[in-house]
Formats: sequence, structure tokens, C-alpha cells
Amino acid sequence: MSDAASPSVAVVGSGPSGCYLAQVLRKTWPKAAICVIDRLPVPYGLIRYGVAPDHQGTKTVTRQFDRLFEREGVRFLGNVEVGKDLPLQALRDAFDAVVLATGLHGDRRLGVPGDDHPAVYGAGRVTRLANTHPDEAHDDVRLGRRVVVVGHGNVAIDVLRLIVKSDVDFLNSDVDDDALAAMMAEPVERIDIIGRSPVEAAKFDTAMVRELGRIEGVAFEWPDGPPAIPVDDGENRARVEALASLPTVGSGSARVTVAFRFGWSPARVEDCQGGLRVAFSGKDGETLQLDVDSAVTAVGFTERAGLDIARSEVEAPGADLPTGRLDARLYCTGWFRRGPRGTIPENRADARMVAEAVVTDLGRGEASLGRPGVEALPPDVLAKAVDFRGWKAIEAAEVGAARAGRLRRKIKERAHLLDIVRAGATNNREDPSS
Amino acid sequence: MSTVILFGTESGNSEFVAGNVADGLPAVSRVEDLAQFPVADFSPDDLYLIICSTYGTGDPPASARPFMAALDREKPNMTGVRFAVFGLGDSSYFESYSRGSEVVAEKLATLGATRVGEYGRHDASGLDDASDLAVTWAENVLQSVEA
Repeated sequence: MSDAASPSVAVVGSGPSGCYLAQVLRKTWPKAAICVIDRLPVPYGLIRYGVAPDHQGTKTVTRQFDRLFEREGVRFLGNVEVGKDLPLQALRDAFDAVVLATGLHGDRRLGVPGDDHPAVYGAGRVTRLANTHPDEAHDDVRLGRRVVVVGHGNVAIDVLRLIVKSDVDFLNSDVDDDALAAMMAEPVERIDIIGRSPVEAAKFDTAMVRELGRIEGVAFEWPDGPPAIPVDDGENRARVEALASLPTVGSGSARVTVAFRFGWSPARVEDCQGGLRVAFSGKDGETLQLDVDSAVTAVGFTERAGLDIARSEVEAPGADLPTGRLDARLYCTGWFRRGPRGTIPENRADARMVAEAVVTDLGRGEASLGRPGVEALPPDVLAKAVDFRGWKAIEAAEVGAARAGRLRRKIKERAHLLDIVRAGATNNREDPSS
Repeated sequence: MSTVILFGTESGNSEFVAGNVADGLPAVSRVEDLAQFPVADFSPDDLYLIICSTYGTGDPPASARPFMAALDREKPNMTGVRFAVFGLGDSSYFESYSRGSEVVAEKLATLGATRVGEYGRHDASGLDDASDLAVTWAENVLQSVEA
């Protein structure tokens, strides 16, 4: 039973937005039935599969979320895909409120002729491979010796950094060494990182640039001339100064060269003698062609038609997207709501804002409350669901399987993940209704 | 004397650590976000444990920025006010990973406040647990103040 002080809420998506939202709801309603659902058997979404594997510090944000599930009675239901295993309507019937925090999984394409060439890879995909995502096959990605990375955000820099790092740079990470070896069966020799923005407007963080400069064996060059330091103070100036301080070609022996280019828009991708030719145009009509083995695009994320819940299909005529209200008792937060911009802290602020809308609406007493929550879900859904204890068994197995110099060896195959959960459940027989 | 924890956070980590320190130390009377703490409320009677992260290349985090702006605006006289600092950060982003907390500490010192106890630090890229370190730090600070 639930009521205004104790409603039942389902959060779809256990990434940062979903967890931050659950956190606010739990603080507001100590007794509410809150359930966080994920289509993967494991929680935490982009923290586990989007944050780069050599940024372990950023991933520790999960500690505050562990508490929700371990000590504060929030339920995790993994391996349940809303829209496939369970219709959204069935979820809305079972819970007083539903919040969609499913993010944006698809890599945006370049939007130019030839952008579907098989050797054009999305940055999200490359990052998921390095993070051992169950749904990515690494046989499909071959970077070759010359790579172009299109994009000037942190995602582009993450991919660049993962490509140029050598084995020793991955100490104390949980990178998928097998995936890296498959993607880089030949050593990468040269990377052009290129995008539309002028250097002073590039969106990547200064700290990310400085991090590049600390990697051994990488030399940087400026084919379009060295960057002009902007006269203003602040982040733009700091960023360009950081770029200008990167070690240049000729300042030591380099195993890989990285060329930064600014002010170029992609125009066309063509097949070219076993590789690709990517054409760009400058703002004054200049043209540039890069002959490479592969292209990695880091130009944003988007919904995948037919595979992800489409926001337009769940937005009622009276929706108020700025507050996260999609329909009566249906909300959205995070990238699903606001688009693919912003890191973890921004999505924390977003989730907290939408949580306030949920609290306000349900506390108003207009909507009838009292839906039973999890207990009303179909038995076959409950039977396949992985709970938080199942995730902890997976985590223990991954840590136990770690190779030397690695924090864990993440498990890729879904069947293997579920086997571990089942084996753990057999060892921990307990009342299934608790 | 009340012991008050003030936290400055971006991702909620400092808030989480602050809560854990409060749970571990019965002497702590309350936990507040720097963003919500009126700078006129600082008192020489109380001890302030400041738990604060770092943003970007050495800046205070989001919830500390309105606090810093309020200090600049109101310039409270902080003579006799005692505070201790635990700084969080991530050395994979910035070598001086707890610089954000230092900026806050320096501002308080220029207004006349006195920093007491050891300067606690946690590197997210290290192997220690932030809350464990912070609880130990807070216990040590309380002991050194009572001594």
C-alpha cells in the first residue's frame, strides 16, 4: 500500500540521473517503495560504460548510490527492459509515478554523404567497448594506423586518450585489454582530432588537455598553425594555453602523433583504397582531405529509432519538458530529458529538479495514489530480474578475475553475468518477497 | 561548543562523506551545504569542519561558489572563528587535486578565521575510501582542539 507520504515510484535507468533522483525521493519519503530498473543486469549506466576506464576516480560516485540499495531500501531490478520485457503502460499501472532516466544511447552520425561507412565508428561505441559493454562486439572495430577523431568535446578527448595510451598507462584501471587489442591490432601512428569549433570555443575541459600532456610517447602538432591565445581571461584562455603547452613533434621520441585542427566541418566520407577519405570544409571555403584507416565520431548522442523509448511518443500534449513532466505521473530526467549535454554534476542538478516536481505533484493529493509497485509486475519479469545482491556477486567475480595491474576484469557476456547471479542466489536462499 | 560540518559539492561525493562523518562522530550537531549557510552565522563558539571538493583545474565546486560570493560581498569579520578542512579531488584531472578546498580555506583565513587541525585530503584516483579517511581526520581534529 502507498499514500501521499509513501508513494510507489519506478525509475527507469540506473545511471547517474536515475540514481540521483531516487536519492532525493528517498530523502523526502523514507518509507516510499522506490524501484530503479535497468535493461542491463548491472546498474549505474554511463558511470560504468561511459566514463572512461582510466577515470576510476569519477566512477567512485557509485558509493553514494550503493547506500540507496544496500541500506536505504531502494530496490534494483536489473535485466528488465521497459518497452520490451515490460510495457511502459504496465509499469505506469503498477506504480504511482514513473520517471524515465534512460539517457541517449546512439552515436549521432556526421550527417554527410558516406557517414555510414563501416570504418566510421561512434565514440560511444568505442568507449563502451573499452568498458566491456555486453551489447558491443569488438570484432567490428578496427582503428588501423591512421585515425581521425571528429569532435571537440570531452568524449572526443576520452577516445583520443584511450587510443594513445600504452599498457603501462592503464595501471589501476579496468580497461578491457582484449577490446583495445582488437581495436588496435596495428599500433596507431597518427590521429587527427578535428572539429567545427574555433580553438577558443572548443568544449573540452582544460583538465582533460593537461592530462594528455602527461602521457609518455605522444607528440602533438598544429598543421593549421599554432593556436592563438585568446586575450580574455578564464577557462577559454586556460584551455588554449594548455593546448599550446602540449609537447610538440621533435621534442623527444614519439610513438604516436596527434594533430589538432579547428574550424573544419565534415563534408563527405568516401571509400579509399582499403581506408577512407574524409573531406572537410573550412569557414572560408577551404577544403581538407584526410586519408585514414578509420574515423571516430564524437558529435553527440541521440535516440535510436526502434530500439530506445522515444521521448516524442511518451510526451503528452500537456507535457512540460523544462520541469521533467511528460504526462500525468510520468516524468523524465537526465539526457533523456535535456539532450546529450552535461556531465555527472549537471545531471545531478537536473535529477534534483525533476524529483521536486514528482514530490510536488504526488504530495498535492490530486492524483489517486496507492498502486502496489513491484508486487504488481508480471511474475516472469520478477523471475528474470537481477537484484542488487546479484550485482554485488557480479562485482565480486569481476574483482576476483582481475588481471595484474587491473582493478577488475569486467564480464561481457550477458549469459555469464546471469550465471553468476543465479549461482549467488542458490547460495543465498531467502524469502523472495523480502 | 557545537561542531558543524559544512560541505561543498559537485557530484554529491562531499555531501556523502559529510553525512558519513556526522554518522561517525556524535559531537557533530549538524551538516549544512555551503550554498545554504549564511556567512553571518559563523560564530567563534563553534567549530566548523569543512569538507569540500575541487572542480576543474582547482576551482571550488558548485555549491561553494555562492558561499564564496557571499564572503566577498558581506566580508564578515571571522576573527576567532575556527575551521578545519578536508579537501577532495581527483589527481587524474589535476595534480593539485584538492586546490578547490584550499581556495575556500584561503578566503576564510583572509577574513580572520583560524584553520585548526590537520589539512585532510582524499584523491579519488587513490586507493583509500574518502569517508574512512574523513572520519579519522575529523576525530583527530576534535582531539587536537580539545587538547
